[in-house]
Amino acid sequence: MFQPHSLLWHYLSVAPSVLLALLALVMWRRGMHKEFPAFFCYAIFEATGGGVLYAIDVSPSISAATYWRSYLCFLLLEGLIKFIAIGEVFTHLLRRYQSLGRFARVLISSVGIVLVFAATVIAAYANPTPFWLISATRILSRSVSVVQCGLILFVLIFAAHFHLSWGRAAFGITLGFAVLSSVYVGHWALLADWLLGQKSYLLDFAIMATYHVCVLIWFYYILGPQKSTTKSPAILPEDNLELWNRELERLLQP
Amino acid sequence: MNLAFVLVFAAVVALGIILRLAVSRSVPAKVDSSLATTIRPIDVEAFRNLINPAEDDYLRSRLPPTEFRSVRRARLRAIAAYVQVAGTNAAVLVRVGESALASGNPQFAESAQRLVNDALLLRRNATLALARIYIALAWPNCGVAAVRVVDRYERLSGSAMLLGRLQNPATPVRLSPR
Repeated sequence: MFQPHSLLWHYLSVAPSVLLALLALVMWRRGMHKEFPAFFCYAIFEATGGGVLYAIDVSPSISAATYWRSYLCFLLLEGLIKFIAIGEVFTHLLRRYQSLGRFARVLISSVGIVLVFAATVIAAYANPTPFWLISATRILSRSVSVVQCGLILFVLIFAAHFHLSWGRAAFGITLGFAVLSSVYVGHWALLADWLLGQKSYLLDFAIMATYHVCVLIWFYYILGPQKSTTKSPAILPEDNLELWNRELERLLQP
Repeated sequence: MNLAFVLVFAAVVALGIILRLAVSRSVPAKVDSSLATTIRPIDVEAFRNLINPAEDDYLRSRLPPTEFRSVRRARLRAIAAYVQVAGTNAAVLVRVGESALASGNPQFAESAQRLVNDALLLRRNATLALARIYIALAWPNCGVAAVRVVDRYERLSGSAMLLGRLQNPATPVRLSPR
C-alpha cells in the first residue's frame, strides 16, 4: 500500500489535481477569480502542473533526469505563484484596515528579509550529494518552504494580535497554505539531509496526504456557505468610575 | 542532521500555532453585549504623570544611580501595566467596532469604521510602546528610549480618549475619568 506507484499513490497523485481543477472551475463560475486572481492561477497551475508531472512520472519512456528537471522547474514556478498568493491574502486582509496598511507592509517586508537571510544560511549548511539535480531540488524546496511558512505564520499571528476579521475564503486559503507550508518545512528538512535514505518515499505519502487535506480545506472554505454576519451591535458602557478606581488601585499595588 | 531536527521541531511548533489560531477563530467569541464591559478605564492624568520626563530627571538628580535604576524599573513596570490595559481595551474596541459594522446598520457604519481604525492605531502604538519599555527595562539609563516612549504614550492616551467618544457622541463614553 505504501509503495511508489501503488493504488494509494496514484490516487494521492491525481485526486488533488482533479479537485483543484474543479475548484478553479467553480471559482470562475462564481466570479471569485476576480477576488483572488493569484490563488485562482495557483489552482490552475497546480492542476495542470500536477497532471503533467504525474504523466512524466508514470511514463516509462521519459528518463528520471527529465522528471527531476521538470520537477525543479515546476517547484520554481509554484514557489513564485505561492508568494504572490500569500501577498494577495494579506492585501485582502488589510483592505478594510487602512490605518494598519503601512505598518503591516513594513513589518512583513522586514520579516521577509529576515526569513530570506535565514533560508540562505540553511541552504549554506545543506548536505549535497553526487545527484546534484535531486539535491538542488530538495535544498531549494527546503529554503523556499521556510520563507513561505514564516510569512504565512506572520500573517496569521498579525491578524490574531490585532483581532482583524478574515473573510471566509481568505482565511481558508491562508489556513491551507499555512498547514501545507509547515508540513513542507519538516518534509524537505528530512529529505534534504537524506535522513530516511531509501525509505524517503514514505515521506512522499505524508506530504501527498497533507496536500490532499489542504485542497479539501480550500474546498470547504471557498465553496462553503458564507455565515450570516447580521447581528446586533455591542453597546459601549457608560463611564464607570468605581470600576476605574478599582483598576487604578490594582495598578498601584506593589 | 541537527539542522534537520531543528527544522522539524520548528515545523511542529508552527503547525501547532496554526491549528490553535484556526480553532480559536472557529470558537464563537463572547456574547457581544458582555464584550464592551470588559473595557478597563485608564486614568490618563496619572498615566501622563508617570511618563513625565521631568520626574525622571528629578529622580535621577536626587537618587544614587543604583537606587534610581531600581525606581525607574518599577516606574517602567507600572507604565507597562497601563499600556497593556490600553492595548487590551483597543482589542476589545476593534471587536465592538467590527460587531457594529457587521450589524449592517448604515447609521453606525462610518463611526464604527472610525472606531476600528482608531482602535487599531491604539493597539499598534501600544505594541510598539511595550517593546520600547522592555528595552528600557534592560537599560534604565537610556534617555533616548524614554523620550520616545513618552511620545508614544501621549499619542496613545489621546487616541484612547477619542475612541471613547466615537460610538455615542450624545453620552460620551470615556476610557479615563476626566
